[in-house]
Amino acid sequence: MKILIIEDERALQESILKYLEHQGFICEAVSDFMKGKEKVRQFAYDCIVVDIGLPYGNGLDIIKELKYMESKAGIIIISAKNRLEDKLNGLDLGADDYLAKPFYLSELTARINAIIRRRNFEGNKVITFHEIKLEAEARRVTVNDKPIDLTDKEYQLLEYFIANQRRTLTKGAIAEHIWGDEYLHVSNFDFIYSHIKNLRKKLIDAGSEDYIKTEYRTGYRFTEG
Amino acid sequence: MKLLTKTTLYFLIALIPLLAVAGFYLFNQFSKEINYRSDKELISAEIAWIRYLRSEAENGTTFILRTPDLSIFPTDAPIAERPTIVNTNGYGINEIPYRQLSQVVSISGNAYQIIIRQSQEQKTALVTDVTRIMLFVFIGLFVATLIFNWVISQRLWMPFRRSLNKIRSAELQRIEAIHFEQTNIKEFNELNASLNYMKGKIHKDYVNMKEFTENAAHEMQTPVAVVLSKLELLLQDNNLKDEQVQAVLESTSALRQLSKLNESLLLLAKIENNQFETTIEINLADITKKYLRLFDEFIKEKQLTVQTDFSFSFPVKLHPLLADSLIMNLLGNAIKYNYTAGKIEIAVSENSYHINNTSMLPPIQPGKLFMRLNTSDNNKQTSNGLGLAIVKKIADVNHLHIAYHAEDGVHSFDITKI
Repeated sequence: MKILIIEDERALQESILKYLEHQGFICEAVSDFMKGKEKVRQFAYDCIVVDIGLPYGNGLDIIKELKYMESKAGIIIISAKNRLEDKLNGLDLGADDYLAKPFYLSELTARINAIIRRRNFEGNKVITFHEIKLEAEARRVTVNDKPIDLTDKEYQLLEYFIANQRRTLTKGAIAEHIWGDEYLHVSNFDFIYSHIKNLRKKLIDAGSEDYIKTEYRTGYRFTEG
Repeated sequence: MKLLTKTTLYFLIALIPLLAVAGFYLFNQFSKEINYRSDKELISAEIAWIRYLRSEAENGTTFILRTPDLSIFPTDAPIAERPTIVNTNGYGINEIPYRQLSQVVSISGNAYQIIIRQSQEQKTALVTDVTRIMLFVFIGLFVATLIFNWVISQRLWMPFRRSLNKIRSAELQRIEAIHFEQTNIKEFNELNASLNYMKGKIHKDYVNMKEFTENAAHEMQTPVAVVLSKLELLLQDNNLKDEQVQAVLESTSALRQLSKLNESLLLLAKIENNQFETTIEINLADITKKYLRLFDEFIKEKQLTVQTDFSFSFPVKLHPLLADSLIMNLLGNAIKYNYTAGKIEIAVSENSYHINNTSMLPPIQPGKLFMRLNTSDNNKQTSNGLGLAIVKKIADVNHLHIAYHAEDGVHSFDITKI
C-alpha cells in the first residue's frame, strides 16, 4: 500500500511517516504544493494525505488535479482549520475524509485503512489478523471461520485494533475513534472498559488467542504474544 | 430636547427684548404723531381764543375762565413769544394724559395766561394696542415657528434621520454594505463622509480581528498536533519506564484539553462575530432525539430515566451546527452531572424548550452561571467551563432567552423565544 503525505510541517510529516511505515505502509512525503502536484502526476498512490494550507498553493487544488486525472487514490484532508466550509469544499471536490489537527496517528491509520478498503472495488475486502477475519462489507467477523456476534461498537473496536495492531492505544484515542469527541460532553473515557472486556471475552470464547493486552494505566495494545 | 426646539427656544427668548424694543419704538412714533396733531389743534385753538379775546377786549371786558380744559386769566408773568407745549398727567384719580399748551400773551396791553389742554386718552389705548400687537406678533411667530419646525424637521433633517437609522440597524458583519449618501446640506455631507470613513475602518478592523482570531486559533493547532504526534510515537517505545509513560499520558491529556479549549474559544468568537447566519428553521425536538440516540449508551450506563414530551415542535432559526452545540451541551451536562439512577426530563412545547436533571451538585450561583472558564472544583477533569458560556452565547445571538433554575436537587434550563 502506497501512501503520499503532503504536509508542510516537517515534524508532523515525520511522525505520520514513522507511524504509517510501522503499520506496513510504503510512504512518501513532500512538503509543498509544487512537489505534491509533481508526485501525484508521476506516481499512483493508494491514498493521499493532504494538508490544505501549503506553501505555493492550496491542497484543495491537488484534489482537483487528482480528480481531473481520474485517479483512484483515496484522499484524506488534514487541516488546522477546522472549518465547515473547508470540510464541505474538500468532500465536494471528491476527498474521502477530513481530519482536523490535532489528530491521533492511530485515528489517521484507521481512516486510511477504511478508505483503501472502500476504494479497493475489485480486490478483497477481508481483513485478517491470524485466526480473526473481518468481512468489512457484511460487517461479519469469524474466528477460525466460526462467526461471532459483535455489537456495532465492538466491531468498530476490533477494526480499529487491527488497523493499529501492535501499537499502544490510549483510552482517549479509542474513545474518540468510536464515540467521536462528543463523548467529552458526557463522560470521561472509563466507559470503554466494558466494551473492551466484552469484545475480549467474545473473541476468546470463540477460540481466538487473547490479543487485547492491557497496558498498565495507559490503554490497550492489540498484539500477539 | 430636540436641537431644533432648543434653537427655536433660544430664538424666541431673544425675540422678547427685540419685540419690546420694537414696541417701544412703535409707541414713540405713534406718540409723536399724536403729539404733532394735538399740537396743531392746540395752536389753532389758541389762535382762535386769542382772536376772540382781542375782539372781546375792545369792549373792555376782563376775562377769567377756568375749566378743566381751558383756563384764561390775567397774570403778571412776562409775555412769552412762543407757546410751551408739554405732556401732563392732569389731576384727580384717573390720570389721563393731557397735552397742555400754555402761553402768556398780551391782549390789549394786559397779560393773559392761556392754558389749553387736550385729552390724550388714545395714548393709553395705544400702549395697550401696541402691547397687544406685539403679543400677537410673538404668538404668531411662535405658532409659525412650531409649524416650520415640524416641516423643517420632517424635510431638512431627513438625511440625518436616514443616516441615524442606518447606524442603528448596522450589524458588524454587514457593515460594509452600508453607504451614507451625499445630501445637499454641507454639515450632513461632512457627517456622512466621516461615517463612511469610520464604517470602512470598522469593517477593516473587524475583518482583521476575525482573521487574526481564526488564524491564531488555527495556527495553535499545528504545533499542538506536532507535539501530540510525537507523544503518541513516544508511547510506542517499549523501553519507557512507568513514570515516563505516565508523564507522556499526562502531557497528552493536557494538550488535548488545550486544543479543545482553543476550539471552544474559537467557536465562541465565531458565534460572537455572527458567522453562523442562517434562515433555516430547526426543530429542537429533532436535535434532542438525535443526541439521545448518540448518548444512549451513557444514559443506560448511568441508569438514568429520561422522560420526554415531544408532542409539540419548537422551531427556531438556528444554524444546524449551533443547534447541535446547544443541545449537546445541555443534554451532555444533564447526563454528566447526574447521579446513578437519576432523572432527566425534557419537554418541548410550542414556544419553549425545557430540560431538567437531578444532580448532587449545588445550584450554580446566578452570577457565575454563564461565565467563561468558570469551572467548579468538582468537574475540573471533564469540563473546560465554556459549555454554558457557549449555550448562552448561542441563545443571545439567536434571539432566544435561557433561564436556569435549581430546586431540591433538580437543575433546569428553559429556552424561550424573546
